[in-house]
Amino acid sequence: MRERARVQLIGEVTGVGRSKVQAYFELRDGEGAVPCAIWLNDLEKAGLDGAGLRDGAEVVISGGLDYYPGGGQASPNFCFRATHVRLAGEGDLIARLEALRKQMRAEGLFELQKQLHRPALPKAVGVVTAERGAARRDLLAALERRGWGGSLVWAFAPVQDRHAAPAIGMALQDLAARPEVEAIVVTRGGGSLADLWAFCDETLCRTVAMLRVPVISAVGHERDSTLIDDVAAVACSTPTHAAEAAVPLDCLAARESLERCVVALRRAGEGAIGTRSRHLGALARGPARALQRERGKLNQKIREIRAAAERGLTERAASQRRIGTVVLERARRRAAGADMDRRRDALHRAAVTLRAHEPERTLERGYALVEDDGGEPLASAAEAGAAERISLRFSDGRVRARPEPDDAA
Amino acid sequence: MDESERDQSPTTRPDSYEAAVERLEEIIDRLDSGQAGLRETLELCGEGKQLVTYCAGELDEVGAGLKELRLDDLAAKLDTASDVG
Repeated sequence: MRERARVQLIGEVTGVGRSKVQAYFELRDGEGAVPCAIWLNDLEKAGLDGAGLRDGAEVVISGGLDYYPGGGQASPNFCFRATHVRLAGEGDLIARLEALRKQMRAEGLFELQKQLHRPALPKAVGVVTAERGAARRDLLAALERRGWGGSLVWAFAPVQDRHAAPAIGMALQDLAARPEVEAIVVTRGGGSLADLWAFCDETLCRTVAMLRVPVISAVGHERDSTLIDDVAAVACSTPTHAAEAAVPLDCLAARESLERCVVALRRAGEGAIGTRSRHLGALARGPARALQRERGKLNQKIREIRAAAERGLTERAASQRRIGTVVLERARRRAAGADMDRRRDALHRAAVTLRAHEPERTLERGYALVEDDGGEPLASAAEAGAAERISLRFSDGRVRARPEPDDAA
Repeated sequence: MDESERDQSPTTRPDSYEAAVERLEEIIDRLDSGQAGLRETLELCGEGKQLVTYCAGELDEVGAGLKELRLDDLAAKLDTASDVG
């Protein structure tokens, strides 16, 4: 049996005991433990005699199966006989971490926490950290800077030894069981991978993955990457960032934003009513204004009509007067005119008649008037024969003559 | 939106602060657009005020000052209460 294949195991040392010739311990990981034994001289060769091999140490052991047949006072048992042991180095831990990471990712455990709803404004936040660590102070300061004054439930736990992972796992479960806790922060300061190894514990990380409350991890510094970072809902580089992830809402900014919302709502409400009431008022005043306008127009018309009427009356009066005058004139003329015309006509006819009887008109037709020396007309031959001298008056002048006795008489 | 929805929506308690803020932003965007009629504006203003009241209440709950509790103390109280019970 002792000739079987030699293998290397890596795990955490627990339950260290010693006899006169050998040391006993269990090498434990997330899946279980293997009973191991190493001769003290081999341990001395490895430089781990004394307190070198202690509980909680991560070690790499080489060896194979061994069997103790027992005796009168001792039971037979199998164990892993380590022929070489050394403390696990960074490379060993990283290799183990990568194997675990690959396995848990394949199981989908990295996604479970990330699917949980993280409230923007949790009322209570649980924190798992070391009681005396700087992370606690940083977390408090960051939360107060955001104006968050909710309940912070501290679950203090060791963060660096073989008791750390179970204690942290228990604290997480206890916090998650409290109904008021809406988010949980797990944090500790920086250190080597060995210092942070508790946060790569497979059992712890599986516990975190299955919790129904979002876990925010802030373990180590930015360059450190632990397995709990992979399974957590959010992985942060510092406790300050973890505080911001646990309470995403900056309460101070949120209050200012809310005040702006109040102003916007008030403005919208007042605007909606004010604008519409003004519009309604304008509409309500519309008919009155239209009436007023029409009334004004009407008054203007009335004034114009009145003025026109006054003008019309004046003009009509004048016209009437003119008409009256004309009528009177006409009447007067009619009254006086007829008589005058008759008279004028009679006068005209008399004048025409008179002119027709004027001797000049007769003379103009070639007749001559016989007058005596005194210019008296001689109307008969006897008077002319009796006159010594006579005058023959033509239209264009006189001719004197002497009448001669009529021989025939 | 029928009458029953209109009556119920403004009084429905938001699921969370962020849901309330999201709805509040929608309301303010709608109001700022100037496309809401009078009735809708008044309803949105009413709903917005309720959301603001809710959000202010939520902020007030975490605004009184940070309270530090120890899980051990809470567990001990729980144990005491269960023992008395």
